[in-house]
Amino acid sequence: MTTRDGADVVIIGTGAAGATAARVLTEAGVDTVLIEEGPSVPTNELRGDLYSGMKRVWRDMGGQLAHGRSFIPILQASCVGGTTAINGAIIRRLPTEIYDLWRREHGFAFSYEELERVWDTLDRELGVAEPPDPVRGGNNRLLAEATRALGIGGNWIQRNVKGCEGKARCLQGCPTERKQSMNVSYIPRAIAAGARLYPTCRARRLQVKGGRAIGVEAEFVDRPGKSLFVEARRAVIVAASAIQTPLFLQENGIGRRSGQVGRRFQAHPGTAVIGRFDEKVDLWFGATQGYESDHYWNERMKFETLALPVELGAVRLPGVGPELMHQLADYGHLAQWAVQVRARAHGRVRSGLAGGATISYDPTDEDVQTLKLGVKRLTELLFAAGAREVLPGVHGLPDRIRSFDEIRPIDALPDDPRLFHCVATHLFGTAVMGTDPARSVVNPFGEAHELSGLFVADSSYFPTNLGVNPQHTIAAVAWLIAEQIANAPRR
Amino acid sequence: MRLWRFERRWLVEVFQTILPSRADPQLSLGAADLPIDRFIDDLTMHAPRRLVLGLRLALWVVVFSPLVLSRRLRTFFGLGRADRVALLDRLRQSRWYLLRELPVLLKSVACLGYCGHPAVQAQIGIRPIDERPPSWAQ
Repeated sequence: MTTRDGADVVIIGTGAAGATAARVLTEAGVDTVLIEEGPSVPTNELRGDLYSGMKRVWRDMGGQLAHGRSFIPILQASCVGGTTAINGAIIRRLPTEIYDLWRREHGFAFSYEELERVWDTLDRELGVAEPPDPVRGGNNRLLAEATRALGIGGNWIQRNVKGCEGKARCLQGCPTERKQSMNVSYIPRAIAAGARLYPTCRARRLQVKGGRAIGVEAEFVDRPGKSLFVEARRAVIVAASAIQTPLFLQENGIGRRSGQVGRRFQAHPGTAVIGRFDEKVDLWFGATQGYESDHYWNERMKFETLALPVELGAVRLPGVGPELMHQLADYGHLAQWAVQVRARAHGRVRSGLAGGATISYDPTDEDVQTLKLGVKRLTELLFAAGAREVLPGVHGLPDRIRSFDEIRPIDALPDDPRLFHCVATHLFGTAVMGTDPARSVVNPFGEAHELSGLFVADSSYFPTNLGVNPQHTIAAVAWLIAEQIANAPRR
Repeated sequence: MRLWRFERRWLVEVFQTILPSRADPQLSLGAADLPIDRFIDDLTMHAPRRLVLGLRLALWVVVFSPLVLSRRLRTFFGLGRADRVALLDRLRQSRWYLLRELPVLLKSVACLGYCGHPAVQAQIGIRPIDERPPSWAQ
């Protein structure tokens, strides 16, 4: 049985890009339909353990991996609101160095002034601010102290949270719905303005007529045999993430001419370093990610606090058996900080044989050197903050070190990503924009070179990674692409 | 994908080795004190197939690795408690990446269930928002 609908614009995906585009389009009077593969789960239902939430909203229950020399988990949500439902709520603007690069080498269409206008609006609407003093928490305060002690730059993180209660559960989905993820902000706002949302519905086929995208066929994943067809009178926007967007394009034969769909995948691989303090840190209270340092951004690394839920943090503790239990019992004295690397590596996303994505990605030797340097500097920062010992989590080093000198042997280790347990959460490329149809998938305004009326508005469009957390740039680019669709004369 | 009944028994024993009871005065609960077999059932019912395959591979390698590592005719279950821990540690520190990732996978899955239980969190010092046990433990 097929449900039929029709709209001016059909948007695939409801994360930072899709939801923002829907907010812009609906409020400009454009009839909009949103299709989302994942379920609609109010985050105030995610009050229990991490595992129960992973079953409901994490893609592949967190088991999606990139394959190279090492396995790197690629963490994404699959639910209404996309990964904004389970990210750390970090808001950063596109660095001017990256903007200049995009303008100069890729013909990026939007001016920095336009981006700033959008960011200012997003900041206002999403309550972007640094964490208030009562909910800063021990983990964040310690990094602030450490950066001061070593004289390096750092700042409280700007976060899209209104009235944070410091539950430290951003990564599990905010149980009090204070985090302004898209499922509590722009999706309800777009629906109030007339958008129609189809959750648990996977977009499968693009309908094309006369060289133009005219509709989308989709299947309800929870109702076998039930499908949806939405006619798109003006445009189809693909905003399903840098993993799912290229899969949809490949399945529909888009980008064959350039051969670029799924290529130029980039990420920010990162790893965490743990410090043990005499004082209580209590990772479970305070902003999940409340303090950051860009001091070494030109060296392609960024530091930030990261209060992992104990279910994940436990894995990074050394040992098994009685040793692990002693470490766990002492969890309240641990601080966790992470380095994320603006990696040079490029990977590729393809359809897997058994469905889903096959992600090939291997950090370069230089990326590994940056990781090593990042771990070394975080170790120095942890000792500067008064850590009794540091757990570097690097194969080939002791499980626990008690002085900065003990981290120095990291320099002699091979440049091998298998030394680390990395995670990648920021994903880019795979349907990149550019002026040359032979080297890019979409034009600088986001429209496919090969098919009019088809737009890519998520971080697949980005020609490089950013070195900072991407949500705000993704939303701003989607906003500007949506504005342009709304303002275009009707066919 | 479900595990065979004997595999499920093996996995419970491995989890009890990773997370033993009464090993720390503050954290006395271990995997044996929770219905961790029901967590395994729930996980294998919901997890992607390749994750369960990885878990199964890790389990078999851990169970039979003493045959190779100690060159004696015994499996994981023929070892005493301390030797089981030593075996997992040895694998964890292996020079071969794939081999050392296997106990990490087992530890990840064990901690995902165990550490999410509110009784465990309470002993660690965390006050859970929802004090009801997860569905697999009810």
